[in-house]
Amino acid sequence: MRALNSGDFLFLVLAARWTILLSLSAFVGGGLIGIVIALLRTSSNTAARAAAIAYIQLFQGTPLLLQLFLVFFGSDLLGLALGPWVSATLGLSLNAGAFLGEIWRGAIQSVPKAQSEAAMALGLHHLPRMRHVVLPQALRIATAPTVGFLVNLVKSTSLAAVIGFVELTRAAQLLNNATFRPFTVFFTVAVLYFLLCWPLTIASRRLERRLAVATQR
Amino acid sequence: MRILKYVMAGLLALGLARPAAAQTIDDILSKGTIKVGVLIDVPPYGTVDDKQQPAGYDVDVANLMGKYLGVKVELVPVTGPNRLPFLVTGKVDILIATFGITPERAKQVWFSIPYSAIENAVFAKKSAKITQVSDLKGLRVGVPRGAVQDVLLTNALGTTARIQRFDDDASTYQALASGQVDAIAETGFTGRELYNKTPELGLEQKFVLLNQPNGITLRKDQTNLRQWLNTFVYYTKNNGELAAIWTKWFHSDFPTLPTF
Repeated sequence: MRALNSGDFLFLVLAARWTILLSLSAFVGGGLIGIVIALLRTSSNTAARAAAIAYIQLFQGTPLLLQLFLVFFGSDLLGLALGPWVSATLGLSLNAGAFLGEIWRGAIQSVPKAQSEAAMALGLHHLPRMRHVVLPQALRIATAPTVGFLVNLVKSTSLAAVIGFVELTRAAQLLNNATFRPFTVFFTVAVLYFLLCWPLTIASRRLERRLAVATQR
Repeated sequence: MRILKYVMAGLLALGLARPAAAQTIDDILSKGTIKVGVLIDVPPYGTVDDKQQPAGYDVDVANLMGKYLGVKVELVPVTGPNRLPFLVTGKVDILIATFGITPERAKQVWFSIPYSAIENAVFAKKSAKITQVSDLKGLRVGVPRGAVQDVLLTNALGTTARIQRFDDDASTYQALASGQVDAIAETGFTGRELYNKTPELGLEQKFVLLNQPNGITLRKDQTNLRQWLNTFVYYTKNNGELAAIWTKWFHSDFPTLPTF
């Protein structure tokens, strides 16, 4: 058993880098998947809608922990051998894609139908109608729940600890098991998570206000 | 982790997956490195030092083994619950991870002859009258999830005690210190050190639950590699090198280890 030293606190701060990087890459990956899922889910094609629904059900209906496990160890059994970093990014992206897809689907569908119909009457096809009429309005509606999910995603990255990825939570567990100072260690970690999530919430409120002005009707 | 076992069995049965290839000592020599899974959250077997690098008895044994083998040792941190999947899927070549030798585990992996032992003891308040397992009846007993003491006490006590499972050792010690459980079963060495440093808590060791010999762990059907590992353990037990590492970390004499 050893005492906590200043290097340990630096170790935690540095581990937070991995939490940030993992959150960012999962958000980008999940965002790309989410856009596809939301568009498929709102498409008029029955097969596309069914595929999107199946994807969402699969990833919302099983625990993220298990998804990470399957990507990490399953890849080895299939002969791919993905490392912890790729596995964690892939697992979190696949999962985030399902949730973001559903959030954005809801946002797209809550834009009044008359807007779509008016655009159609003006002769706009599906893509320009989405791009110029529906999505800008959906964006405003989607901002708050998207940031809410992102805050959750930051905290979900702690699950990557199970596949041996040393991010903030795992770093804290290691220090706690070496020093037996749970309150100091976990309090520090809680503060670090708060410092990561709080600016997101503030940024979201600003963005919402700006978009509200931009799309005032 | 149980779910994972079924999923893996399913993938293997479907022919989708190939189990990690068997390795001989020559394969490892020609690769020039050996990936060794170590725990880094069970001091003093495996922990992180004041520079946050892996350190401990297991880490020193891994490096000693690398010296005799003449290859580079790549340490891969694993946890109690994920060490078996890491080994079986080939993410590490062997485990030097305080892994207790049991017939149950030997169905999935192979063990070298014991290179270390871990003493499991029951800790509780000084005022509590606890001298044997049956005294734990009716009490809240904390254990780290899935560890040998979890299995042992669950089998011995069933529903007569409220067994509470924690994620790691530190949480288990803390649960007793903050009074969430009445007793815990944990590593004797660490528990004594920890509770002796905090006499105001009034906690002490009650009795030794078991002495568990640990083996270096490898995938099944690798007679060739196992033979070398056994020879390594035998040799360093005889020449005193293992004992020297033991004394460095435990400040006590090397325990007498059984062999098989």
